[in-house]
Amino acid sequence: MSKHSIAVRLGVAAMLAMPVAAPAAFAETSLTVAVSRDRYSIDEQKFTFTTRRPAAQIVETAVMPDENFLPQPLLFQSWDYADGTYTVTLREGVTFSNGSAFNADTAIASLRLYDQGKSDFLQIDQESLQKLGDYQISFRSETGSALVIENMTHRATSLFAVTENRAENPVGTGPYLLESYDPKQQITVTRNPDYWGETPSVDRLTFRFIADDNARMLALQNGEIDVIGEVTPQMLLSMPQDGSVVLNESRPIRYVALLANLNGAAPFDIVQDYKVREALAWAIDRESIASVLYAGRGVPAKGILPGWMFDLGEDHTDGFGYDLAKAGALLDEAGWVMGADGIREKDGRDLSLRLVAAYPNVSSVKPMPEMLDQMFAAVGIDIDLVEVDDSGVYGSTYLDTGEADLYMEFASNNNTDPTYLLNNLFTSTTPWGGYKFTAPGPHVDALLADARTAQTREEVIAKVRAAHRAIVQDDLAAIPILMVPNFTLSRPGVTVPMSEYADWIDYGHTTFDAQ
Amino acid sequence: MRHYLFMRVATALPTLLGMSFVAFAIVALAPGDPVMQELRAMGVVPKPEDILAIKAQYGLDKPFFPRYFDWLTRALTFDFGNSIASGRSVIDEILIHLPATLALALSALAGAIVFSLALGVAAISAGRSVGAGLRGFTILLVSIPSFWLALLLIYFFVFQLGWARMVGDGSLGDLILPALTLSLGAGASLGRVVFERVRAEMCEDHIRLAIAKGLSPAVILFRHITPRIIGPLATAWANTFGALLGGAVIVESIFGWPGLGQLILQAISQRDFPVIQAYLVFMGLVFFATSLAADITVILSDPQLRREVSNG
Repeated sequence: MSKHSIAVRLGVAAMLAMPVAAPAAFAETSLTVAVSRDRYSIDEQKFTFTTRRPAAQIVETAVMPDENFLPQPLLFQSWDYADGTYTVTLREGVTFSNGSAFNADTAIASLRLYDQGKSDFLQIDQESLQKLGDYQISFRSETGSALVIENMTHRATSLFAVTENRAENPVGTGPYLLESYDPKQQITVTRNPDYWGETPSVDRLTFRFIADDNARMLALQNGEIDVIGEVTPQMLLSMPQDGSVVLNESRPIRYVALLANLNGAAPFDIVQDYKVREALAWAIDRESIASVLYAGRGVPAKGILPGWMFDLGEDHTDGFGYDLAKAGALLDEAGWVMGADGIREKDGRDLSLRLVAAYPNVSSVKPMPEMLDQMFAAVGIDIDLVEVDDSGVYGSTYLDTGEADLYMEFASNNNTDPTYLLNNLFTSTTPWGGYKFTAPGPHVDALLADARTAQTREEVIAKVRAAHRAIVQDDLAAIPILMVPNFTLSRPGVTVPMSEYADWIDYGHTTFDAQ
Repeated sequence: MRHYLFMRVATALPTLLGMSFVAFAIVALAPGDPVMQELRAMGVVPKPEDILAIKAQYGLDKPFFPRYFDWLTRALTFDFGNSIASGRSVIDEILIHLPATLALALSALAGAIVFSLALGVAAISAGRSVGAGLRGFTILLVSIPSFWLALLLIYFFVFQLGWARMVGDGSLGDLILPALTLSLGAGASLGRVVFERVRAEMCEDHIRLAIAKGLSPAVILFRHITPRIIGPLATAWANTFGALLGGAVIVESIFGWPGLGQLILQAISQRDFPVIQAYLVFMGLVFFATSLAADITVILSDPQLRREVSNG
């Protein structure tokens, strides 16, 4: 057969194949993401439908966090804060998916709608909302806070159009439209053809609610889902190593730390001695723990807020190394002498500490409690280990009563307000009752109160830095152990643009390798 | 019969009342503050007055007994309040999930009945060694935890044969594996009941007479044994149905089946107490209804009992 003939035949074959090939070239891209549960509430008082995880991107927030959690323009084009008043210029050319324009009137209506809920942490003074022009508004904070714009990066503050039934038909300005919602099963959104911003790469997003960790992993391996959006440490331990599952990670954001009971009554008063707390901090081999847990992706921590967050920086805390001799010397200084049974004692009392591993559940940190038990035993500290898999039991039984010496927590500052975590966990006026036991005292209360009322961002961050240092270094109310990334798992060829903040993982811009 | 039904329901009222109290008390006295859990999960910094207002909204600011009586009064009209987590009414939540659980329980029960009858009758009819083997097999199936059996079935049918999906969307085809998981264990347990009842009947004089008359085994089984054992079997089926409705939690979770099991697991983890209380009451009512249905079946299948009931 001549080369010419082969070329002609191939050309004809290619033309015949085009009708078949063409649809494939323009095939709709869809992505199925598994998350552990349906967290949506349609309660008017705390409406979170489509704004909580999984954030279905039907509605948008006023501003979005940049890589350091600083607010960047989204629906708000620019803003200014002076003399307690926020003046905001809105983005022009944006429409809600029902066709109505996003302007000063609809923005004010959306902000008023948000304020109906009890989940209000913006605390905008509703009386102060003012239209200054077609695309300019102003408002004041009820509490004189300079952090209202920062708080607007939280998905819960997304701006809905005022419509009859938000729970059935949420109307926003986002890149997706609601296609269907089966409570506790799945929610599907499709691309908004009239979206004002960058067109997402995924046409249809489906979030499946699958509670069981194993089921999520097996479904991924079986190709029934593309991504697992919520990854537990156990899933990392059981993750197949044959390349059938890909681990995506953010920068470390979640901390594992031992919160010390600084205000407990006897017998839970031993760690009120700073030297004991410091000895505990030096007795932890963080490198070993990091190598065992979280697929080796955790890093030894110097604090409970990562340095990149809010531009806090890494220099304001020193951290603790692993030095058993130093830990032993500190305990000696504190008067705890080694007993014959290998447990230190003082005035006839054993150095025995109750360590509760429970938040959010002990499964999240296993086997770290056992590792710490062994590490502390090496310096003569006996650990009464309590492992609880229910945060409710943890709160009522151990935290609220102060009936433990150390509380192991695996959490993060899941809020773009820099004061949020520290204020709730380490002030004597905390609204989360039990954490009054972990409050270092009036100096930290004052620092955080000042931070919450500071009028410039620089001032806020300076106060937060000082409070953070006090908590994790000078007062050691929290003994930092690890910083852990946020994870997703995907099938090979699927790349998820990660974010430290689970609500801000932009699944719409997931990319697919050519097969 | 009406008088019997009236008396049966009337005598059940104290039990149902006690059950409602236990359901309420278990949840009310359990550790864990649903309001604080929800606020922390939402990332809200509440003021003390906000916390008090939310507690008042759910009636958590009242003493135990007034709360119980308020709840009971509303529960009598099937008003169990709203789910703390979803904001939907609890009845709506149950109605969303009930069809999936009913479908699973009914199909598992059907499978279990078929499996148990086949197993029981085969164990009777087979020779001594095969019969012993079958009985051993039923013990094995009864002993296997449902989660392990589920994983085994997933391994073969999903990953090896590719005949089923791991987590479906609640469609009929996705029902097969979870129903099979439940029906194997329940069927083995029922199979032992069938075996014991048939063997007991085989020792009765009228069955010996039938054998002596030369009737075929099938005629003996269906005409003489079945009417005698259908009552006890109905009771076992009813109890099994109740257990399947309430006990499918783990299997539903493994297969992502959107039933009541998923609802209650999530409700417990979130301390969604209106949902938990309603679920417990609902399950109590289900057991009451299924045992009542079994009793009626027993009466209808036994001429002597039927006469006694008819004569008051």
